[in-house]
Amino acid sequence: MDAKTIIDSLVNKFQDSLVDAKVDSDIRVSAYLEPEKIVEVCQYMKDELLFDHLSSETAVDYPKRNEIVVVYHIGSYDHSVLMTIKVKLPRDAPEIESIVPVYWNANWYERETYELFGVKFNNHPNLKPLVLPDELMGDWPLRKDYEGFPNRTARNLV
Amino acid sequence: MDETVGPSEMIVHLGPQHPMQPGPFRLNLKLKGETVVDGDIELGFIHKGIEKILENKTYLQGIPIVDRICYLTAMTNEEAYVGAVEKLADIEVPEKSQYIRVIVEELSRLQSHLLGMGEFGEFIGFVSMFMYTIKEREDILSLMDMVTGARITHTFLRFGGVRDDLPEGFKEKSAAVFASLREQIADYEKLFNHDEIYKLRCFGVGILDSKTARDLGVSGPALRATGVPFDIRKDEPYLVYKDLDFKVCTATDGDIAARINVRLEEMLEAMYIIEQCLDQMPSGPIFFEDSLYGVRTPVMRVPEGDVFHRVEDPRGEMGFYMVSDGSDKPYRVKIRGPVYPTMQALPPLIKGTTIADVAAIAGSMDGCTSEADR
Repeated sequence: MDAKTIIDSLVNKFQDSLVDAKVDSDIRVSAYLEPEKIVEVCQYMKDELLFDHLSSETAVDYPKRNEIVVVYHIGSYDHSVLMTIKVKLPRDAPEIESIVPVYWNANWYERETYELFGVKFNNHPNLKPLVLPDELMGDWPLRKDYEGFPNRTARNLV
Repeated sequence: MDETVGPSEMIVHLGPQHPMQPGPFRLNLKLKGETVVDGDIELGFIHKGIEKILENKTYLQGIPIVDRICYLTAMTNEEAYVGAVEKLADIEVPEKSQYIRVIVEELSRLQSHLLGMGEFGEFIGFVSMFMYTIKEREDILSLMDMVTGARITHTFLRFGGVRDDLPEGFKEKSAAVFASLREQIADYEKLFNHDEIYKLRCFGVGILDSKTARDLGVSGPALRATGVPFDIRKDEPYLVYKDLDFKVCTATDGDIAARINVRLEEMLEAMYIIEQCLDQMPSGPIFFEDSLYGVRTPVMRVPEGDVFHRVEDPRGEMGFYMVSDGSDKPYRVKIRGPVYPTMQALPPLIKGTTIADVAAIAGSMDGCTSEADR
């Protein structure tokens, strides 16, 4: 399955919600997506296009544009194309549906994105902090306007 | 995990400090008698905030930082980081440097597998195994020391090349080390596969079938032991791997013994790769002469953009997602380590086994908490 076929199939199926879908190279495709469609698109990719491996899920903070972009890297065990899906969320109340029902290992990635960026994943089975101590909850340390680096660390909290 | 306990059930906390653990994490187990009913993992005891640190360092300063994600896989971490920057800034690497990189990365795979296997031996009560493997690992580390000047955290790769050429006498020294290691690997196989206790503890225990492994997102030797030939070196060749002849080692059983056998085979493959590299390596410079980059790269600005670059770590798929805003520091770096999903898969894997098998199963997955926490 090559990059062009994949992007054509996705654009055909979800033409209203996919923006800027493009082939970056033989093994990389990327697109922006409307937040409501994320579970549906992931399910379609997993069932029809053999994307059965969630490689990573994270977020990037853009305070100037007032948005947080959630980035999904979805690959496959059967072909070497890797899809990058970006979803723009408003920075003051970022919320998106969890993809744990589709990709089981999204669980920890979403917990980490939640504690570091404050992105809330709806219907996540266990949305609690993973690597941070409870005292740092609500600080969202990986956001660009976080002022505690490097002094407000776990050591200084206890 | 549901914290309520039923009749004859109890909760046992393994960790954060426990001899069977490759770093501090807490494994909460709910037991009914000796059977594991449920389990979950708590992380964060060694969280270093490396992603945040990298945002505050220039690109060159980031290289020693990524070494510290996990000292066993320092070279492959560097390759993923440096490779991502090279893709973003469109920097070419001379073929000679690419061969040197493959050599040190395969050496790193050798020493990681050796330590992983020694630790695993220790977990199943086979402590002398650790003594055997650590001795061979020391020879491999001396080889890496010869090339990079450091035993574990090397800071050896540079954008567009490597820090140093291979030293004189490296080929002869490595031939001697590999000859002894090959003999040792044959011995390890004998030690493992002819030991009755090992057979009872490791064959047919902790079975991960290929469908579950795919669903859980596992990669690396643990996945290949289930029969899925997923290897970034083949699927998404970086450096000169496409010119090298090597096979992806797989097994079919998916149990503890299969994972160990895959690692043993991979060590033989790694030595074969290094020997090919030493034979095929062209002569030439380690940096292009008209290149802006060198051992001491000046402050560099990387064009705007984002890239996801992945390499095959000794433990699986290592990926760096890097966003640049055109300045001299990365805007955002996401480190996708192979151990993270593998550790996540541990609780479902140990469900239904006995508590005595937990250490064996966890050891055979070859985890590293430092990398999972970052």
